[in-house]
Amino acid sequence: MPIIFISSLPFGGGERLARKLAERLGYGFLSREDVVAKATEYGVPVGKLEVAMVKRPAVQERLARLKERYLAVATSVLCERAREGDLVYYGRAGHYLLPGVSHVLRVHVIPDPVQRLETAAQRIKLPEEKARKFLAEVDEDIRAWVRFVHGVNLDDPTRYDYVVNLERTSLENAASVLCTVAGLPDYQPTPASRKVMEDRLLQARARIQLVLDEALSEADLTVRASDGIVTVTYMPRQAHLAPRIADVLKDLPECREVRCTMASTNILWIQERFDPASEAFRHVTEVARRWGAAVELLRYAPEGPEEGEEAAPTPAPPAGKAEGGVEDDLPEAQAGKADNSFERALDALVQEGRSGGGRTVAGGRERLLGAISITVPYSLVVVGDLFLDKSAAARTRMTRELAMFLADHVKAPVLSTADLSSRLHVGKEEVLKAVGAGIVLLLIFGLIFSRQEGLLSVLGGEAHKAAPWVASLLVAFLAPVVSVLYGSLLASAMKWLKMD
Amino acid sequence: MPVLMNGLFIHLTWANALVLVLLGLVGGVISGFAGSGAAFIMTPGMMNLHVPGVVAVGSNMAHRFGNNMMGARRHAGLGNVDKRLSILLLVTALVGVQVAVWINSRLFKMGGGEGHEGAGGAMSNLYISLIFIGVLSFVGSFMLRDALRPRDGKEGGGPSMKLANMISNITLPPMVYFPVADVRVSLWLVLLLGLVVGFLDGTVAIGGFLGVPAMIYLFGVPTTVATGSELFMAMFGGAWGAISYAYQGFVDLRLSCLLLLGSLMGVYIGAYGTKVVKEVLVRLVASSIILLCVLSRAVAVPVYLRQLHYLQFREEWEPWLKGASTAILFAAGIGGTGLVLFHVVKATLERRKVHSTLLVRKAEGDGRVS
Repeated sequence: MPIIFISSLPFGGGERLARKLAERLGYGFLSREDVVAKATEYGVPVGKLEVAMVKRPAVQERLARLKERYLAVATSVLCERAREGDLVYYGRAGHYLLPGVSHVLRVHVIPDPVQRLETAAQRIKLPEEKARKFLAEVDEDIRAWVRFVHGVNLDDPTRYDYVVNLERTSLENAASVLCTVAGLPDYQPTPASRKVMEDRLLQARARIQLVLDEALSEADLTVRASDGIVTVTYMPRQAHLAPRIADVLKDLPECREVRCTMASTNILWIQERFDPASEAFRHVTEVARRWGAAVELLRYAPEGPEEGEEAAPTPAPPAGKAEGGVEDDLPEAQAGKADNSFERALDALVQEGRSGGGRTVAGGRERLLGAISITVPYSLVVVGDLFLDKSAAARTRMTRELAMFLADHVKAPVLSTADLSSRLHVGKEEVLKAVGAGIVLLLIFGLIFSRQEGLLSVLGGEAHKAAPWVASLLVAFLAPVVSVLYGSLLASAMKWLKMD
Repeated sequence: MPVLMNGLFIHLTWANALVLVLLGLVGGVISGFAGSGAAFIMTPGMMNLHVPGVVAVGSNMAHRFGNNMMGARRHAGLGNVDKRLSILLLVTALVGVQVAVWINSRLFKMGGGEGHEGAGGAMSNLYISLIFIGVLSFVGSFMLRDALRPRDGKEGGGPSMKLANMISNITLPPMVYFPVADVRVSLWLVLLLGLVVGFLDGTVAIGGFLGVPAMIYLFGVPTTVATGSELFMAMFGGAWGAISYAYQGFVDLRLSCLLLLGSLMGVYIGAYGTKVVKEVLVRLVASSIILLCVLSRAVAVPVYLRQLHYLQFREEWEPWLKGASTAILFAAGIGGTGLVLFHVVKATLERRKVHSTLLVRKAEGDGRVS
């Protein structure tokens, strides 16, 4: 059965609905309060974090670290409870704690405003007017918290599977409807979605273990886990911490391998099949070397062909179509067990010292987006060969559309492998442009320094007295032109020297 | 040092042209390294090369004009610019810049130099130096204190946030919501900040020093958005300042071009330095350089006071004071740049050694570095 997430504002009946649902279905109940208590045990001052965040975050780095720690504890508590048995969770958009897990039912509760005000006034013992003001402030703080922690709008209905309006629906009826919905096949766990949850749990546990270590508590680490392999990236200036990371994680339960990679930043590479011998692989690793970045592989199997979509003359996918979610066995099933190119690509990255981990996701765009961590500061997202079962024209269009969709939702530049290749190498056109820029610059500098007297007269001498606006025009034109020309010349030179 | 056009412009030789390129390089390295503008070293650096303060400020603004434009474009592409915030800041920043240009021009024209360096500019030089010392000694000591405070991972060791918290609680209507920064701030606070930033930018070209931290600490704007929005605003504010100074006859385009040759190159090196040097060292180096620049300006102040007859001392001391001021400034710049370069080279060499992933395979029970 799915994990049911009930999100609502306080005093709005969400908690009562969640408890009723848990009781009727015989599920366990977990609330945000339980998670907060556990986080406090692990040294996360959640109250302080909330106040600091609401009062405008001044020291961003410290807040970001605390947020990471809170998310790790919350994810770990949630996954452990879900492992024990079916679960209803009541909180604030809690389903974002398990991105990529498909067996979740996301419910948003809209409260009856009159009843909510009455309940709040009774519980906090305030006159109605003050209670109204109090609720407005609390609501704003909670919305800010959800934006800060998950980067989403709490009230956006597209983020939920069902929205229940308690103004017109009784709690009893809402619970009855949700009991039925919870039994629908769309929300049932698959082996793949359970595996994603296991990966999330391992990742969260690894993160907690790392932050609990005194030497590592303030380090900038990125932690990923997949299939028992934990990949940790650390900044070059923290190179001395690598052995410590491995040491801290050596006894982590259910972890079969730890990979520690030194990286200034992370590159996310999304593709359907990875080949370590391909040109694209060479280009991406070359960028990673130049930037000192770790490369995270995201093997993406888009959902099946849409109706009316032109199909390529390639063998049809096997009958067992993906149910969605993260499915580790899907591409192997399609390509045959002999194809272990993903693992070979990961191994090649490990050998290069550029491994940022790897995962597999299947399904629509939203599922892909859900699998991309908002907490990892990617500096580049590379979209490679996708939609391989389509014709070349459809493939190009769909890949471009997906890249545009990602560019709208991910805070990093999104490039195709073809774009990356052209930006990586100094092509003929760029050489010509650089030469042109150099010649124009030489001419400008030649003119400025060979005719200094005339120039100075225009800038502040006799000619300036007659027409001061000429100096303004000259500065308004020459300053940006020289900057742009010199900047592009320098960028090409740095690229040519592989120092960009 | 021979001067041209009534002391407005210096005579350029190969030697001082090279020094200007180096000054740009030093400024660029520090700018890329500290993530701030480098007017704190370029403006006094030019003044130490006998460029009148007002021309140093104007030329520096012209040099930054194009850089800001490119930086703002890059930040806008990454979604780091809150245009509503930038535009509201710009409204009063333009007024601030114009006031600063007017004051600087008036002071320069009031004279007081009696044929010394930048003849007629002693009053303006003194004014610029005092503003410079006042603002940057505060910023530099704040940064130094922050860099030196013990980092035990616990809260409470940071700079006092009392004033920041008090100001951030001001909810004087109308409150304006800034969508990219995701903050709600009183319009009056934004307009006031714009005015101050514009004034400082127009006076010494160091508006960003106040604008970025103020947006972060007082408004709660995320660091990347604060930097992007400030650059976007500075693109227009700086352009307006450069054009206004040019109209007054206080921009030397030769200096702007020479500074640019070094600074763009330096920014690449400095930005790389931040990746390989500990954060605390970045802050320590940046704050030390700023404070040394302040000291350098402080040493030059008696010279201007003497030129204005506010202070009496023997004439032969003047070259010594000027020499000391120049030596401190260049020692700070070259020392800081040298330190960054040293770390960049060291890190590159180390990176070649520690190139591969540290791998621990638990199933095999071994731990190895491959």
